[in-house]
Formats: sequence, C-alpha cells, structure tokens
Amino acid sequence: MPDHPTASWQAMQDGNVFYRRQQLYSVPGKFPEFGDHISAGCRYGGPIAMTRDTTKLIALGRPTPTVSRAQIQVWSPSAVGLLLFSWDQGKIVRFGWTGDERLVVINEEGTYRIYDLQGDYQQYSLGSEASESGVIDARIHDTGLVALTGGLSLLEVKGWEGARTMTLASAAGLNQPPHSWAIIPPDLNISRHVQVLLSVDSTILLVDTLECLDQRISQGPFTHISPSPNGKTLALLTFTGTLLVISSDFQRHITEFDTSSIQADGTVRQVEWCGNDAILLTWDDLVVLVGPFADTLQYIYGGPVFAVSEPDGVRIMGPDTCDLIQKVPASVLSIFRPGSTSPASILYDAWQSFTDRSPKADDAIRSIRPDLASAVDQCIDAAGREWEPYWQRSLLNAAKFGRGFLDLYNPNDFVNMGRTLKVLNAVRFYEIGVPMTYDQYQYASPSSLVSRLTARNMHLLALRISSYLGMKPHAVLRHWASAKILKSKPTATLDGELNGDEEVCRAIVDKFKELGGSDVSYAEIAKRAWEVGRTGLATKLLDYEPNASDQVPLLLSMKEDRLALEKAVDSGDTDLVYTVLLQLHRRLALGDFFRLLEDGGEKLVPASRLLQVYAREQNRSMLRDFYYSDDRRVESAVLALDESTTMMDPAAKLTSVKSAQKFFSEDKDRGFEAKMMDEYGRLLALQQQLEKDADGRVVLYGLSVTETIRACLTNGLSKKADKVKSDFKVPDKRFWHVKLNALVEQQDFDGLDAFAKSKRSPIGYEPFVRRLLEHKHSKEAIAYVARCDSPKRADLYAECGDWRAAGKECKERGDRGKLDELRQRCKDSLALRDLDQIASSWK
Amino acid sequence: MNSLEGETEAALDTSLFKEIARKSLVDALNAVNGAKTLVLDATLAGPLGLVTEVALLKHHGVDKMFWLEAGPLAATTSNIVYLCRPLIKYVKIIADQIKRHAQQSPRHTYTLLLVPRVSALVKSVLEEEGVLGDVTLIPYNLQFIPVDEDVVSLEHDAAFKEIWADGDETVIFDSAQALLTFQKLYGLFPRVVGKGDKAARLATLLSNALHQARSDSPPDTLLDRSDKIDALIILDRQVDPITPLLTQLTYQGLIDELIGIKNSHVDLPASLVSPPTNDQTTSPSTSTTQTPQPSMRKEAKKKYHLSSTDHLFAELRDRNFSTVLKRMNKIARRLDEEVKASRQARSIPQLKDVVGRLGSLQAERQSLVLHIGLAEMLVPITNTEHFSKALEIQQNLLASYRTSDQLVAIEDLIAQGADFETVLRLVCLASVTTGGIKPKTLDGLKREILQNYGYHLLPSLLALSSPSLSAIVPNPAPVSAAQPVKYPFVALRDTLRLWIDDSGESHDEAETDLSYVYSGYAPISIRLVQCLTQRDALLKRSSEKGKAAEAMQPDGEPDKLQAHPIVGWKGFEDVIASIPGEAVDIIQAPARGSQLSNSVRFGEKESITVVFFLGGCTYTEIAALRWVARQNKGRKFIIATTSIIRGSSLIDEIAGVNKSIGSKDAGI
Repeated sequence: MPDHPTASWQAMQDGNVFYRRQQLYSVPGKFPEFGDHISAGCRYGGPIAMTRDTTKLIALGRPTPTVSRAQIQVWSPSAVGLLLFSWDQGKIVRFGWTGDERLVVINEEGTYRIYDLQGDYQQYSLGSEASESGVIDARIHDTGLVALTGGLSLLEVKGWEGARTMTLASAAGLNQPPHSWAIIPPDLNISRHVQVLLSVDSTILLVDTLECLDQRISQGPFTHISPSPNGKTLALLTFTGTLLVISSDFQRHITEFDTSSIQADGTVRQVEWCGNDAILLTWDDLVVLVGPFADTLQYIYGGPVFAVSEPDGVRIMGPDTCDLIQKVPASVLSIFRPGSTSPASILYDAWQSFTDRSPKADDAIRSIRPDLASAVDQCIDAAGREWEPYWQRSLLNAAKFGRGFLDLYNPNDFVNMGRTLKVLNAVRFYEIGVPMTYDQYQYASPSSLVSRLTARNMHLLALRISSYLGMKPHAVLRHWASAKILKSKPTATLDGELNGDEEVCRAIVDKFKELGGSDVSYAEIAKRAWEVGRTGLATKLLDYEPNASDQVPLLLSMKEDRLALEKAVDSGDTDLVYTVLLQLHRRLALGDFFRLLEDGGEKLVPASRLLQVYAREQNRSMLRDFYYSDDRRVESAVLALDESTTMMDPAAKLTSVKSAQKFFSEDKDRGFEAKMMDEYGRLLALQQQLEKDADGRVVLYGLSVTETIRACLTNGLSKKADKVKSDFKVPDKRFWHVKLNALVEQQDFDGLDAFAKSKRSPIGYEPFVRRLLEHKHSKEAIAYVARCDSPKRADLYAECGDWRAAGKECKERGDRGKLDELRQRCKDSLALRDLDQIASSWK
Repeated sequence: MNSLEGETEAALDTSLFKEIARKSLVDALNAVNGAKTLVLDATLAGPLGLVTEVALLKHHGVDKMFWLEAGPLAATTSNIVYLCRPLIKYVKIIADQIKRHAQQSPRHTYTLLLVPRVSALVKSVLEEEGVLGDVTLIPYNLQFIPVDEDVVSLEHDAAFKEIWADGDETVIFDSAQALLTFQKLYGLFPRVVGKGDKAARLATLLSNALHQARSDSPPDTLLDRSDKIDALIILDRQVDPITPLLTQLTYQGLIDELIGIKNSHVDLPASLVSPPTNDQTTSPSTSTTQTPQPSMRKEAKKKYHLSSTDHLFAELRDRNFSTVLKRMNKIARRLDEEVKASRQARSIPQLKDVVGRLGSLQAERQSLVLHIGLAEMLVPITNTEHFSKALEIQQNLLASYRTSDQLVAIEDLIAQGADFETVLRLVCLASVTTGGIKPKTLDGLKREILQNYGYHLLPSLLALSSPSLSAIVPNPAPVSAAQPVKYPFVALRDTLRLWIDDSGESHDEAETDLSYVYSGYAPISIRLVQCLTQRDALLKRSSEKGKAAEAMQPDGEPDKLQAHPIVGWKGFEDVIASIPGEAVDIIQAPARGSQLSNSVRFGEKESITVVFFLGGCTYTEIAALRWVARQNKGRKFIIATTSIIRGSSLIDEIAGVNKSIGSKDAGI
C-alpha cells in the first residue's frame, strides 16, 4: 500500500491550509545540472528546454562533452531526452514554449524559429527594426511573443504564423534596459491585448498597444516580476529581497514578505507562482513556498532546481526528483484531513468499515443520508486529484459504495472520471512523461493531449486514447502519415523508388480506410511528401484528395499549372482562381500564360473571364495583349471604346474610336458595329468642326447625335441641325420630336408655328399639345388641338382648360356621354355653365 | 385584415443573421485597440445600416467615420480601419492614402476589414502598391442580412451583372457560403431543388462546402436535417429573364421602380417622413426639418425604412397599385370612425381604453399620411405618357399581340426621348418573348438607340446580346455564331399559364391568381415555385376557375388546402426541360445514421421553404411568393436573394452607368 495521501501534506496558516509535495518521478542524476543551464518549461506537464548558460564557468575535464556551439536539449519531466539540436544562428536571447508545446527560440538578430518536438521548425523574422537594432530580450506566452529591441522599443507578434510585428506604445522614461520585465498575456487581460510590465528605476511601467502608464510604485527596482497564472496578481521581488504581492491593477497590496529572513545561500533564482495564491521562491538548494499571509514552507533539495508554474500548482525539477507542489484540493482535504467529519470523509470511512466487514458502515451511511449524493460527488472528485492509482481506486470504490444507497444517481461523472483517470495514468507513465493533473487535463482538453502525444510520435497510444474517448482519429492519422513519409526512405534504384512510393501510398490509404479516417486531408499529407522531395508520392496521394481547393496550392508548387488552374475553377472559389492566376502571371512568360488559358478550352473559360475582370481594373495593357494574342477582335474593340469614354483629349478619343472601328471591321460578323463606330468617328469630327465654327460658344463634343441636334437648335444653329440630321440619316420622327422639344423649351412659339406648318407632321400634332401643356403653355397649345385626331380633341381641349371648345367638340361629334363626363370633371363654375348651356342646347 | 398579418408572421427568426453580423463586426472592431477612424465603402453603408447603428460603432471605439473616397484622408486617431468589399478600385484608394500618410510623422496603424473575406486579389494589389506590410487584413463575414421578417439578402447589387455579363462567379461562391451558414443555424435543407445552370453550380458548391464543413468538427445542425425547413429552391435569374424587365405594379415594386428603394430605405422629402415624430425607425433626431423653410435647393431628402414594422405598409406593399388607393381610403375611414368613437367615450373604463389606443391611432395616422404622400408622388408618374406607353407595349408583348407594331412603338418611345433603361428593357423583352428580332429591324433599333443615347453604349448592347445573357438576339441567328437555346416563352405561356387575360380591374381586388401582381402576367419564377409547392394550382387547369372562386370565400379557412410535400419537379419534367439550364434535385442526407424519420412529417406541422434567387429578385416576386404562401396552410416561405433588383438597375449595371451612390447623409 502506498503512503497515505496525508503523508505528503504540510500545514500552513495554523493548520487551515495544507500544501502537498507529490513526487511525480524519481530521476536521480538524469537531468543536466540546472545551475549551469538556462531552462524554459512548458505548462501542463510539458517538457523543459535547456541550454548551457555561457556566463557560468565550466570545469574542464568533466565528463560532460564540451561543445563550442550552442545546443538546446529538450527533456520530458520524467527526464527522458526528447530532442537535441544545435543552434547555428546568432546568439539566443530567449526561448520559450507555445500553448501547443512547440519551442520558440529567438536570437539577437530578430529571427525566431518555432520547433516541434521532432526538430522541424519554421523560421520567421521580427522585421527590419529588430534586425537593425537587435533584440536584447523577449517574453513568450501561449499565443505570441513580445520582444525588446536594442532601441528599447517593444515589438509584439500575435500568433505563430509569422504575423506582422506590431510596435507597442513607446515606454517613456526607459533609457536603459529594464531591471526586469514581464508580460501579462492577452487572454488574461480585460482589454484582451497584451500588457508589458517594465521595472524602471523605482517604479513599474505598464505598456500596451496604446499607452505607457507609470504605476508610481516606489519600492523598486525589482529583480523579478512574475504575474500569477490568472493574471490578476503580481509578485515583485526587490533588490533588497522584499517580496511584494499586489493586484495587477496596482490598486491593492496583498502581502509583503522579507526574504532575508530565510537562511539561504546566494540569491533568489526563480519567483514562480504555485496556483494563484502562493509563491515559490527558489535558491540553489532551497525552495520556499510563501502563502497568502506570508506564511512559509521550506523544502530542501540536493542541488539547484527548476520550477515551472502550473495553473493548479508548481512543478519542480531537481537533481533527484520531479515534484508537484500544490494546495491540497478541497475534496481531498475534506476526506483525508485528520479529524474531518465531512460527509465525504464519513462515506470513505464507511466504505473502509464495509471492506473490513464492520457493521459501523451501515450506521455511518445512515448518519450522512441527506448529504450522500454530494459525498459521492466529492469522492469522485477526490479520486481525480490523487496521483496514486491505489487511492484513486479506493476513492472510486467508496463512491460506488455510496452510490448503491442512492435511488437516482446519474453515473456519468463516475464513468467519465474512471475513463479520464485511465488516460491520465497512461500518459503519466514515465516513458511517456506527461504528468498532467486532472485540472490541467480539463483545462487543456483531450484533443490537445492527443496532439501532444502525436507530437512525440506516440501514434499508437494517441490513437487508442482518441478511440477510447470517442474522438475522431483523423488528427492522429494525419500526423502518423506525415511521420511515415519522413521515415520511409525511397530506395535507391529507379524501379525501387517507384515501388517505394506505391508501397507507402498504399499503406497510408489502407490505414485510413481501415480506421475510418475519411476526413483526413490527403492534400496535407501530400504536401508533406512534396516538402521532403517525394514528388511521385505527393502526386499519388493527391489523387485521393476529394476537395479541389486543398489540392491547388500543392499543385501550384509542383508546377502542375494547368491542373492547378482547373482544380481552382472546379472549386468555385474565385479567390483561389485569382491566387493561381496571379502567381502564374508572375512566374510564366506572358505568352505562355496566355497560351495556358487559351489552350484550356471550355474548362478554363471562367478563369479567363476572371482574368479579364481583374485586368480591366488593374492591368489594361495586359488585357490588350491578351485579346490581341487570342484574336478577340470584338473584345479589343470594346476595350478601345471603353477607354475612349474616359479620355479628355479629343484627338486621343478619336483615335481610340477609330481603332475600335478597325477591330470591328476585321470581324465579318460585326459589320453593323463597324458602321456604328464609323458614324461615331464622323460625329466626333463633325462636333469638333461645329465647335470650331461656333468659336467655342457651344459645347458639343461627346454628345449623342440627338443631343447634338438639340444643342444646335437651342443655340440657334438650325442649319447645322439639319446637316446633322441628313448626315446621320436621323428619321423624321425623331428629328421632329427633338426640334419640338427644343422650340418649346425656348418658348419660340413663332418658330414652332412655322415648324408645324413646314410640312405635315410625321408625329401628328398631339405631341405638340402635350409638350406645350407640360411646360404650362396651355394657351399656345389650344391652337394645335384642332389639328389632332378628332376623337381625342375633346379631352385635349379640356386639358388645355378650354372647356367650351371641348364641349363644342363633343357636340360636333355627337358624343353625349363625353359631354356628361366633362361636366362631371369640370371644377370651374364658369366653364361649367358653358357646358351646361351646350348640354341644354343639345336637344 | 388581421388574419393576413398573422399569416405573414415570421416563419424563422431571421434576426439571428442580424445578431451574427453585429457580433462579428464588434469582434472585428475590438481586435483593434483604442479609438479608431472608420473609413467606409459607401455601398456597404446601406447593408450595414440594416444590421447596426452608429451608436454601436461609437461604443466600440469608432471616433470618426469617413467615406472611402479618392483623395487624402485626415485622421486624428492613430488607428485607421477601412471597411470595404474587396474591389480593386477601393484597394487602390486605400493604398494611395497610406502612401500619402507615409511622409507624416505620427504613424498610423491600418486595418482593412474585407467583406466577406480576405482575398488574394487584394493582397496582390496591396503588394504591387508596396503597402501590404503596413496593413492588417481581417475578414468581416457579412452574409445574409434580414431586410424583412421573411426576406434575407446578401445585398450584393451587382450580382446579376457579375455572373452573366462578366463571368465572375464570386457571388455564387459567397452564396454557397452564406447558405452554409444558414444551414448551420437552422439545420440541413432536406432537399435542394433548382433550375438553371448557375443554380446547378450553386447546388454543387453548396454540397462541396457542406462536405468540407463536415470534415472538421461541424456543429450538430450540419449533421441533421432541419425539422422546420423542408427544402431549398434555387432559381437563377436566367431561368426567368422576363420578369425583371417588366414594370412592377405592386405598391412596393412601384416605389422601387419610380423612386428607388436602396437597402430597404427610400429617399423621401423630409417633411413627409418626419412630421412631429416619435417614429422609431428613423433615428436621426434632426428636427430642423420642422420649419418648412423653402431652402435654396430642393427640399432635403430623408431616408425612410420600409419594413413590416410599419403595419400599414405591410398591408399595402404587396397589393397591385390600382387597389392601393381604395384600400387607403378604407383605412382612412376606419381611422376616422375610431377617432369619432373615442370622442364619445363617457365612462372611466371607456376613457382608459381610449387613452390606451391614442398612441397607436396617432402612429397609424402618421403612417397613413406618409403613404398617401408617397402615393401622391407615384400617381403623376404613372399618368405620364411614357409610363403608360411602356406598360402597354409590355402587355402586348406578353400577349404576343401584334409584335411588330410593338417594335415600332418602341422606336417611337426612343424618338420621344424616353429613358435609356426603359427602352432597353422593352427591346430585351421584345427579343426574349418573340424569340428574337429580325436582324434588319434589330439593327435599326440599335442604331436608333446609339444615335439617341450615345455610341459609347455599344458595349452594353453587345453584352446584352452575348450568349451568356442573350437578352437581345437577332432571329434568325447569324450562321457563324453558336447561339444558345432560345427562351421558349410562347410555349411556357400556355403550360405555365403566364398570361391570364381576363384579369380585369375587378379581379385585382380579389387576387384570385398571382398574376394580379402584374395585372395579368404571372412571373415565371414564382410559377416554377408553384410547380414545386402548389401543384394543384397548375395541374387542375380546366376546373380551376370554379375552384378558385370557391377558395376565395371571405371566411375561406376550411378551403385552404394543406400544403403538400415537395417531391421535386415531378409532373413538370417537360416544362422544366424546355427552359434552358440544368435542373437540380438533390436530397441531402443527414450525416449520422438513417434518421429519416426525423425529417418533416406532413400533416399538421408547418414547414418552411427557402427560395433563393441567384442574381436577385424583384419586390413583386416577393409579393407573389407571399401570395402563394397564403393559399395553403402549413407552408411558409423564406426568400433569400443576392439582392433586390429592378429592371432599370440591371440595365444600369450592365451599361456601367454609375448612378451616384450614397449621398453624404447615408443611413449610417
């Protein structure tokens, strides 16, 4: 039987609060000496990265291999070496972990790399400012980093996709590098933007994207600034050794502690948080936990240690052990606390009595009957927080025992906890080395656990866990396939290589089919194959990809231009088509580019249309070339004509129109259009001539034929108007309408009269009346009514206000009904009398 | 009339779309810390106005707002946020402004919110202009916007032109994405039925998108069929090219035709919109318009939001305009009586009742005043010669009555100087209904048009006669060109009963058939919807007259037939085959197991059919669909569209006529 849970407990605050030190792994002498190394640990039971601290002396002749170049080692908490790589870039200024367990390394030249646990990396740059002035330090959080440049400006990068660096507000009063600094990650802030804390002189500056605030603290300068895991509290350590704990809005002092009261050698190495309410200070071989009321607990280690803050505790890696120090969780406390009389504790005792076949069990259960359900819940919860499977099991058994006395109890929590513990115990195994607590697991989600396992190439375990938890296997399969491709070396001979590709491809496809990985993107895997130079394999895999849009980028990089374009068109995503088009346009010679589109036939028509839309806005000369090379006369003509509309210069405009005419005339089906363009050209020339004749008094250029005629008429150039009419064979009808309008608008009633009499109107005389009426010249209009069709005359007279004439008209035509209607409509009493008169004289 | 209101009650809660749009805007704005200057593409102002208001923007740090226009930008804040569609012309303006700022000392941070997504094109242009490094690109996924309780729209005005004139199918892709979001909210469409090549394309893209969305942890709604919605009907505009060419005659349609409705807002003289008002729809409280001072210019215009929150409008909007005045008259009388009745109130409870109703009476009176004013604006236009002439030509063409005379009449209209849009609509209509115009006549017409409106319009004529649009085609076609299938209007007129000759004035009030909306013509698009959802109306041709009369008994509840399930194009295969374009009928299977029993059971349950118009629909078509919904119980329609169109706006888009958009005082 393992030690009783309370064996690792230590009381604080007069026995009200307990902290426990749980040994996770025993690792005697496996880790490198922490005192000589700079380390960075990853949260949630993640690995630690270490590199030799070059400021420390190193004794020659020791068995450790001395290497001239910087090396980074990555260790799991159980002291299994995960990765070792040497660094060939500029001096490392800082490294740290992303939220998804990748290592970010930043050097002084402003480049940073993101390594996964297999040693593959992406490299990005912090931009020109960083590379010019150099980076002196950086802070890395789950989803981004902040770098401090030699010019003392702060650069922020959001996310790990190589996003553009943003400059934070400049810190006024920062003349030299800060004594120490820290960041509060964006997700822990109210503003949801990163905040930087700089210890400058005796105060702290708070910098974000907008401004720099002096927090006016006078106890500084500080050697350590450490924000708590939830970002609400700060731990500050002064040069004089005073530990200050304040709220992160600098409004509340929470506690103060003088570290010189601790008998320890050397200086404080680390200030880390243990959960959100205790702070861990480490010296070379001493670790001190400072509680919320400045109570302390001391732990002795056999050498320098490294502490990693976790949301629910702190992990300490020392020369001999890897420990977790945390506050004893409430459920565990209520059960195991000496003298506890909580229902959960009684339930646990009852179960023990039961296993001892003691009748006390029944009494105990009876006594907590009303609280039994919550007692069961607490036992389940406590099981999750115990490290040893023995205690997990007995707590779950106690819960199961209690459950038997309940009529209605939802067993989901119980079942889930059992499942979760099975998974957690599996990954805590030292060969796996992921010492996650239940809380961390809840926080980080099962899928992230699975991806952490795949990152370690533990595909089988990952697959078993994901199927055990009912998750889709595709994430594991994807990673497995990429790893498989990396591992499988193509054989040397030409035939062999083909076989090798075939084999790997089949292995992957079979595995996917077998495990139901239909959702895995083949394109992604194919991309991987392409990246490692397995083109043949990539092509084969790509054939299995059902989703066109995923195929395109890879096809493009494989220079399968035609296929990429076709797939892009298929996907219907015009943006994807543009991506391909623009890239091809950049890469290919113009002629080849056009030929690709032209030879594509029906399938590539949409792409070619899109290119035209783009080119019309952005690249006209390309469009001209495109039409020309494809003998598209009509489009060329339209383009020329289109350009002419925006041209101001008359000569240029005329040239454009003429070239449009030429293009049209080259297509035998476009005779009509060519003729129209010819007319257009003549019109423009004529307008120019007319303007010149009129000494620029009249603006005609660019008007339509009809408008030209109207302009001529309104400007007293009626001869010219006639000329335009005959030159352009304007039909009489239209000409009459135009002239009529022009005359009425000018109120040239004599002219109108002459015009009306010049010959028989081809449009009748009703328009005369209407037009005049529209312009409120009803008196003039009356004269024309007589010349209109007789059935309409009565109404027209009425509209002109000549009721009498209207009445007469009715009488002449013998239309009694009309007359009555008129009498109803008429509002003018005088006129009405006339109408009545006519009506009465009718008989 | 209350029963009618009850029926048009929202079938689905479309305001969810509004919430989504608001939230993603707020998120996008909050991504930029601190006060910011918002630079807005004017065409987005209208759609945005439907989902958000200035106060919300201010609340999230927007300090000042500018239109995105060429020229320098004077911003006081260090953050500048551009919000626009990913069009090259906008990007160029932005690049220019950034370059101008480059010389200034206080550096700005630029964020570009692109609707609906970041595009490679924009990146490439920014790169060419050399400013890509200075801009952060963020997508703002503005998809369906609820423009009314039963209408959602992408408000993408140029959709028709982009698809059929330019061959740019971006809208189809965006529509597929938007419909996917629709399904994410309400569950899978159990069945997708459609007609038209582009509709088929959309259906394919939609199922691709669905497949893709399912592969990475989809919400449950994408796995199961919706239990409310029974089908999605996709119609592309080429399936019914005729309807938008006609002059709309419903109240709302006519307002759109003659005054113009932009993003559900109409510009009205300020005096009409805001008499001493507590009108909640128009928030700007500039009460300076109170004093009707004859200002130096025309009277100031003010936006009025036309929506079903205006109950009177909801009652009037779908009526044929010829009956609207009568209706208004009736309402005026009723109001009058109510006011009189209220005066006679004596006892305390009566008085209490009266006081309670005062507010609503007042509001009703105001909206009546407004709509009478609106009608006053419409009537003179409908009395003009051009309007009635155009209408007459349309009706004759639809009835195939002396078609060659109609061409002459069109020529006369040109001679009289009618609107370019009106003329072109008529020419297109003549061409489509008759299956092409004789080459010689057509050339003559074109020549008239070019001479009258300018030769620079030749490209639009070419575009209209291009195979993809084939709105103006010669008959017989020239041998060399491969002409697409002719639109079989005359045959359809018989099979789909498009032209109901006897619908005189008297029938309009009764609205016995949906052809009331065009005074005799039933829109093809809606007839097709009827083929799917109201088969009896088309199948029982012979006995339909008696039945129809029966069904319109005033208390006609028992006569309403229960809507039948949608079974695809069954029974109409021949008709559908005769219309150019592919027909689609897909049954979307739920992802897990066979949960077929979960799909809509017909019986007492109510089902909702979503009709998506690719390329836009008119207000009249919406009215007609609402009419169809009223004929059966158990089925409601949600109308989804790329935008709400009218014939003249289509012509303008194609002709590239840029009607100046969004004056400075635009809604937002």
